[in-house]
Amino acid sequence: MKVFPEDLLYSHEHIWVRVDGDMATLGITDYAQESLGEILSIEFPEVDTYVERDEAFGSIESTKAVVDLIASVSGTIVSVNEDINDDIGIINSDPHDTGWLVVIEMDDMEQLDELLDAAGYHDFILRQEAD
Amino acid sequence: MIWRLLNYRSYSAFENMAIDEAIFRDTMKNKKPPTLRFFGWRPAAVSIGYFQELKNEIHFERCRLSGVDIVRRMTGGKAVYHSDEVTYSLTAGNSAKLFPDNIGGTYEKISLCLARGLSLLGINAHLAKAGAPGKEPDKTSCCFSVPSGHELLVAGRKICGSAQMRTQGGFLQHGSLLMTFDPVKTAALILSPQTPEPDEKLRCSVTAVNEVIPSPVTAETVCAVLQKGFSDELGIGLSEGTLTPAEKALSARLVKKYESDAWNWERKKGSI
Repeated sequence: MKVFPEDLLYSHEHIWVRVDGDMATLGITDYAQESLGEILSIEFPEVDTYVERDEAFGSIESTKAVVDLIASVSGTIVSVNEDINDDIGIINSDPHDTGWLVVIEMDDMEQLDELLDAAGYHDFILRQEAD
Repeated sequence: MIWRLLNYRSYSAFENMAIDEAIFRDTMKNKKPPTLRFFGWRPAAVSIGYFQELKNEIHFERCRLSGVDIVRRMTGGKAVYHSDEVTYSLTAGNSAKLFPDNIGGTYEKISLCLARGLSLLGINAHLAKAGAPGKEPDKTSCCFSVPSGHELLVAGRKICGSAQMRTQGGFLQHGSLLMTFDPVKTAALILSPQTPEPDEKLRCSVTAVNEVIPSPVTAETVCAVLQKGFSDELGIGLSEGTLTPAEKALSARLVKKYESDAWNWERKKGSI
């Protein structure tokens, strides 16, 4: 059974969020990376791009599919993980930590209230798999 | 549930990709039922996956001299030479509830539909194991060189290559079912720098509908059995339809994107 870190929040689009003040670090969950399989490429937004919650902020390609990355919060991209350019495998091997994707400076912290905690995300996955 | 069926017709590579994107956008925006579309390519074309670098994948000059168009797809995967084949595209929103919310599960379900259809022609197609091939990384550019998990094989050789893109609202999956296969031409147009004798490798790993049945059939016949495969496997109805005026208008605009060097060489999406 997957273990999801308790200190993260989660979206229904399988993105995790780590909050530090008004900064949100986003990445894909372990569940998402396993579903995708080997990740081959990623398309990041430019730093300083404004992204809207529930809109795509980039896309990711695994062996046979291209999948949109959906922002869990609105705000300005202040950083992208350039280590991924050297070793994209860290998204598969360490998705909740060194495989982070972007940092967003949030402009509406209340959006965090609509994200799931680890237990809620776990239940969401179980429900999805049961469908 | 009733899906829309857009039956077999040939278009240029740019029109084909524009039509699929228009259907996809309209389906997601208006939460429409799924569309299953069958089509051909006139003239022949090479398509590359969304993330591929055209200059690394294609013999551009050979394509130009052969009158073969080149286009970048919305979907992932590798390069495909489209000539004598039936291509399908399936667009479905998440509300369709007929497909799992993951890539592998969707591949598997669609492959089961295709296999069921092909069985009506006496073709025994089975699904490649998930995670195949698994022995060594695939260095080739060509989609048909290696089967991915849940893709269709006949006697161990790939007969249909598929690729997918997913957004928040649903997915689009493309697949090429070969009617005949020309490994020499394919190897001449798609770069395979790390594969010695690429045409020989393709000859051993790829097959086609009219190579595995005693009497050749037409693309229209194949579409008819595939249509039945989908309806029987999923328990759905398929109603033959046409593009809506909104889809026609959008696809006419999107053709310019798919014809553009900005999209095909640099993956710039533009503002359409």
